[in-house]
Amino acid sequence: MTHHLFRWTLLGLVGLASTTMGCTRWIDVIPSSTLQQESITRVISNDERVPLVMDGFRMMQNGAAQNPSTEIERRILNTVQETRLFSTLVPLGGNISSLGDKVVAARITFDETIDPHSGAAAWKGFVIGASMFLLSPVIELDYDYAAQASLELERWDGQVKRYEARSAGTAHYHLFGATPIMIGELKGQVTEACLTELMDQLVRDTNFYMASNTPLPDSPILSVTVKARPPLRSPVSLSAVPVSTAPAP
Amino acid sequence: MAGLSSPVHAADPTPQITVGTQEVGLTAGYLLPHRLTQDHTTKQQGPAFMPSWMMTITDPVGDGWYRGQVSIGAEVVYIQFVEPVAAHGIGFAPRIKYTFVALDRIRPYAEFAGGPFWTDLAGKIPEESSRFNFVLMAGFGVSYFLTDQAALNVGYRFNHISNGGTRYPNLGLNASLPFGGFSFYF
Repeated sequence: MTHHLFRWTLLGLVGLASTTMGCTRWIDVIPSSTLQQESITRVISNDERVPLVMDGFRMMQNGAAQNPSTEIERRILNTVQETRLFSTLVPLGGNISSLGDKVVAARITFDETIDPHSGAAAWKGFVIGASMFLLSPVIELDYDYAAQASLELERWDGQVKRYEARSAGTAHYHLFGATPIMIGELKGQVTEACLTELMDQLVRDTNFYMASNTPLPDSPILSVTVKARPPLRSPVSLSAVPVSTAPAP
Repeated sequence: MAGLSSPVHAADPTPQITVGTQEVGLTAGYLLPHRLTQDHTTKQQGPAFMPSWMMTITDPVGDGWYRGQVSIGAEVVYIQFVEPVAAHGIGFAPRIKYTFVALDRIRPYAEFAGGPFWTDLAGKIPEESSRFNFVLMAGFGVSYFLTDQAALNVGYRFNHISNGGTRYPNLGLNASLPFGGFSFYF
């Protein structure tokens, strides 16, 4: 009787371990958006801001050209908008007739590299199945995702500046922890880190995009703070709202 | 900012099965005997029911007709033998499946499953002497996606039951198992 009880207790513990430890997952992102230093801050006069017009958007996946993703384009534009560096953002194909002469044209390339480690996953899956899932807590599966964003901005006088940022991450998971949401989380975090780094670079060049391209006057006119968006963990709002203003100190 | 005017994408009718997509399904079929040697005399047959769970572990790999993805999981195999005597069999079988995805909604697949199987046919037929056995199944099928999340499946499996030499006699039982069923993906 005692032997029987011991055997079933042991089986129960093994089952419990398999179903709990086999459900874990975690994501590593390099560079981590949450570990980046405090964002750079610049102050720009409201009158000095010029519109930004999307002139081109290319997407690549593992080196192959893809259809442009509206979601990615919105996300990039929202990130640019949150810097408050430009007065207006005009997406691809938008109306630019009333913007005036001083306009910055943007060309964006977003290159994704995905490595789902399919071969390793298939073999590991076979081994996990052959072990009646007992090895699921100890066999780890991986999914790699990297994003490289290039932003080329052409000022109204023809001068061009180019910014580039890259971020990579890996989702580590056990079999029972796999879910499509996990892949979405990985891509979201990597993209966030990549765009945060890109905006940091952009904000460093604030003066380059000022309408007068001259130092700010001391007069108390309306101005806004220009900075890269602080790292976020929550999903980015897809709505595009007018840029707010605040009196200069 | 006005609505974005980047190129409009038509709705993609292809089911998007990615890493982490789970599949639950129910399959039913009928076991038809194969007597592979002269020593095999039993014409075992009866309906089989196989509820299953699968997890997709790869994105589609490869190019061309063989482009596909791997999923692993398990199923419970229940067989109600009606011939030569009324008996039951139940087993648990880990399963691996390769699904060809080149044809969008029509997706052929090849599969293999195997695991422990208990049946009370033992002692009632000359091929099997123990109640504890193993069931091995290999076959192919095709899934037709009615929606992005639901599919009908039909196919064929070769079914083998034996005790792995743990007791004798152990001739084993072999059968064809044509089946049909449905799957739900989430």
